Amino acid sequence: MNKEQFLNQLDKSLKNLSQKERKDIIRDFEEHFAFGQQEGKTEEEIAASLGQPNQIAKELLATYHLEQVEATATAGNVMRALWAVIGLGFFNLVIVLGPFIGLAAVVLAGWTVGVVFAASPLLVLFNAVIYPETFVLFDLFFSIALTGLGLFIAIGMYYVTRVLTSGFIHYLRFNVKLVKGGMKHD
Amino acid sequence: MNVQFKKGILEICVLVLLDKKDCYGYELVQRISEKIEISEGSMYPLLRRLTKDGYFTTYYQESSEGPARKYYKLTEKGRIHLREQMQEWKEFSNAVNQFIEEGVSSE
Repeated sequence: MNKEQFLNQLDKSLKNLSQKERKDIIRDFEEHFAFGQQEGKTEEEIAASLGQPNQIAKELLATYHLEQVEATATAGNVMRALWAVIGLGFFNLVIVLGPFIGLAAVVLAGWTVGVVFAASPLLVLFNAVIYPETFVLFDLFFSIALTGLGLFIAIGMYYVTRVLTSGFIHYLRFNVKLVKGGMKHD
Repeated sequence: MNVQFKKGILEICVLVLLDKKDCYGYELVQRISEKIEISEGSMYPLLRRLTKDGYFTTYYQESSEGPARKYYKLTEKGRIHLREQMQEWKEFSNAVNQFIEEGVSSE
């Protein structure tokens, strides 16, 4: 791979980044090539010791998506950061995706319980409309009590979700910092 | 070395080198790759990340030959971070060394 091929491939892999940032990154690598050539290395040798442009782009993208998620932790941003970090290497598939699925299951289950509890009077009324003969007043009062409980669970889940999300983002950051990438023979 | 967790060590190396003097990217990459086998390209994502974390600032300096050089300069925050990282590294490497010595002498 020569300099132009290397830079083209890198630039193409970075299309999610802003124009300014891409230019800055490409400029850093152009500088690297220039100094390498001054020392008498060929473009091919320099490109070979730099490594795969795809891998370099993956690391830059992981950092970028984590920044985005720290600015605003929307579900879309979390997912993009998650995939970017997983993309760093197969190892991350295990140590990142595993905990994520576990946490996501807990959050989903909590919200489901909260919402279903809160909505339970509707279910009782719905039932009463279809099978009026089975209607017992006790069911209605019991379901209204469940609504209260469901609302508390939902409020609790709101905080749990926030804490888990920020905890998980920290874990992603730790991953980008420590695991994989940067070494030869990856 | 085929250890998965060597990346954190690169960070200490960069911080230590910049503690002595400001360096430009190519210089940093060469100094580290002389001693540690790395794929050189991954140094640049690292440098960008540490710059964004506020550990370095960068400035350009014209050179008589070739393009302007982008220099990295350690900030006060970076210095504090370096001290913490060095402390952690010392504790960690002392522990490992102790295990090695005990292992070797008991044979």
